[in-house]
Amino acid sequence: MSEKVFMQGNMAMAESAIRAGCKLFFGYPITPSSEVAEYFARVMFSRPEEGITFIQAETEVAAFNMIAGAVAAGHRAMTATSGPGYSLGQEAMSFMSCADLPAVVLDIMRPGPGDGDIMAGQSDYYQLTRGGGHGDYRNLILAPYTVEEGCQLMQEAFVLAEKYHNPVVVASDGNLAKLRESVELPGRLEVPDPETQYNVLSGFDPAVREKHVFLTGMNGVAEVIMINERLQKKFRAIAENEVRYERYQCEDADIVLVAYGSLARVCISAMKQAREEGIKVGMIRPITLWPYPEQAFADLNGKKFLCCELSAGQMIDDVKLAVENKHDVYLFSRWGSILPSPKEVLADIRKLNEVK
Amino acid sequence: MKTIYERPRVFTDAITTYCGGCGHGIVNKLIAELIDEMGLQRNGIIVWPIGCSCLADKFFDMDQIMALHGRAPATATGIKRAEPDKFVLVYQGDGDMVSEGMAEIMHAAIRGEKFSVIFINNAIYGMTGGQVAPTTLMGQKATTAPMGREAVNSGYPINMAETLATLQGVCYAERVTVTSPQNVMKTKKAIKKAFDLQLAGKGMTFVEVLSPCPTNWGMQPKKALEWIDDVMVQQYPLGVFKDEEGEGA
Amino acid sequence: MKKELLFSGIGGQGIMNLGEILCAAAIKAGYNVTFSPVYGAEKRGGRTMCNIVISTEIECQIVSEADVMLIMDEASLADYQHLAGEKGVLILNSQVETKPDCPCKNIQVVPFIEKAMELGNAKVANMIALGFVLRYLDFIPYGTVEDLIRETFAGKAKLIPLNLVALKTGYEYTA
Repeated sequence: MSEKVFMQGNMAMAESAIRAGCKLFFGYPITPSSEVAEYFARVMFSRPEEGITFIQAETEVAAFNMIAGAVAAGHRAMTATSGPGYSLGQEAMSFMSCADLPAVVLDIMRPGPGDGDIMAGQSDYYQLTRGGGHGDYRNLILAPYTVEEGCQLMQEAFVLAEKYHNPVVVASDGNLAKLRESVELPGRLEVPDPETQYNVLSGFDPAVREKHVFLTGMNGVAEVIMINERLQKKFRAIAENEVRYERYQCEDADIVLVAYGSLARVCISAMKQAREEGIKVGMIRPITLWPYPEQAFADLNGKKFLCCELSAGQMIDDVKLAVENKHDVYLFSRWGSILPSPKEVLADIRKLNEVK
Repeated sequence: MKTIYERPRVFTDAITTYCGGCGHGIVNKLIAELIDEMGLQRNGIIVWPIGCSCLADKFFDMDQIMALHGRAPATATGIKRAEPDKFVLVYQGDGDMVSEGMAEIMHAAIRGEKFSVIFINNAIYGMTGGQVAPTTLMGQKATTAPMGREAVNSGYPINMAETLATLQGVCYAERVTVTSPQNVMKTKKAIKKAFDLQLAGKGMTFVEVLSPCPTNWGMQPKKALEWIDDVMVQQYPLGVFKDEEGEGA
Repeated sequence: MKKELLFSGIGGQGIMNLGEILCAAAIKAGYNVTFSPVYGAEKRGGRTMCNIVISTEIECQIVSEADVMLIMDEASLADYQHLAGEKGVLILNSQVETKPDCPCKNIQVVPFIEKAMELGNAKVANMIALGFVLRYLDFIPYGTVEDLIRETFAGKAKLIPLNLVALKTGYEYTA
């Protein structure tokens, strides 16, 4: 941790990625993510000592495949995009997960479907956590609720991607992206020598090592089984080690809110207001959307859950799975574009408090 | 005893899985010979496409990545931008490059990515079993054009070497074929030139190879070679369409 | 502690500048600060509004019951008065003629533009407003704001005394 600055979410996260040693950025302009690309493009010229390579790709399809190439060569690389762009990147997300490639993606969520709107939303939950691309694969999804947490997770994303040889997505949203907030920017991360990275394409010297080949094609049942079992082992390790969440005042609560990202802050204020009225409210804030923090729900038998999201009811599936459908699970859903006020959440809390 | 011919050292012991009379095997061997001759095995990466050549990684003892369908030029962009000093070869067929990946090859060329591209044009989809490609000749039969290619459904063939030659980012574009020993030697010379210019950091180098596909054309191998020489070259003339060597490009 | 502030006016009135200085002062005082700017589509003369939340803990980053609302023009009043908190203060530029219709009881009308003209420059109306706003934010040291004005105008040093006087004019204003 170093100095405290007042910075827009997108720019602070771009700076944190640079300090994490991300040398290559491939992106395609899309609101509300474009400041991240613009930041990298500026730093490439204004701070040549950083050694940044920035390419504005022709499509998100190309941008995601460029990352595949750069991380296959052992370098830290990323893109930033938003819902429709992430949809186009899904083919490559499946590929990179299968090929053990440690890509990092910053997805600034906005309301959809279709062309959608350009402001805050959480409608990418399914496509982030359920794959969206083809095949049995998983990506680690980190969802910050403040600019500062976004900066920390942005850096950790590179470390986790390399640790598990798998893509990691930081899921921000249109609110957090544009918000300026006081933030302690993280310091610099140590960057491993590309040659020492796992299985990289670096030019093969047969006297020194075996060739490295990135293949995702499967030829026959034996390879289908072998490759999928290897992948599942990787996903199990992530699920066992990397679950993250925060719990607030759940122990004595009658009602437990479940919320992530920028909407979690609205819910924190709603929770405080409810407590002032004497309604016992707690909250679970998932930080990893996959793996989902089922553990956070383990000791909360008998409570009512209010799943709050800027989508039509996507995360609620995971809440119901976490409580094994045995408890009352309710939904507070808004379409996004703007954030609801804490009063709107409070109104639902009051109603729920009357439910016997 | 003097060795006058040997199997390229970069080849593994694997036996190729290409059909009899297929052009891929010839071009793979030319690449292997040049990798040996130019000492690129220790400094090179091959990016393979989806198509008949997607098992080629088994034949080469080199670092390789098999890209997603059509995306090889984008993947190669990531590699070359991360490691500008490495030799990067992109190998694509016509379905992969001209149909699925038209955006990726065009924009890599627009940006002048400094890698070499070898384009195998056999005017048809090979691996998926003989469907119509953007490069299929007018009237040529395919499983998805059973009466022959018609403009109303499939439009007209595109000449990639000529098209890419119009772009400033491309410093060398040539079309060759492998229908005779002389043509094979010309192809090797063209590929060598493409590799040399890449190593000199000149820009994108592009070699289009008219390549026989007897299986999907429904021809004997010898007839397939004659068909290239008699029919295919009328749509796709052989020759150099751009060569900026010596102009200090 | 949590304070919700909403400042709104039209482009050129220095609303964002005012908000940024206030945020910087609150950060220096050790608080968590969020700032959400809203710009109109017009390049000149369009809406400029900012949401600011100053808090000790992480809180909701949008304003729904403003503790301090500053309104510089008619359109802003119509758009945002419903967000003025019941226990908060609504500070109105005296040029706004419409009577507010909002839950907020404490309404202060201040002739920011006229006072600025008296100081010889209509542009310092925003600094007068900043001074007046500070009366409701006693956790922000007045001296910190003065320091930040000196920093902000470091490139145009001759403007510093005028802006400091404007700040004081607002801070000490009585009707």
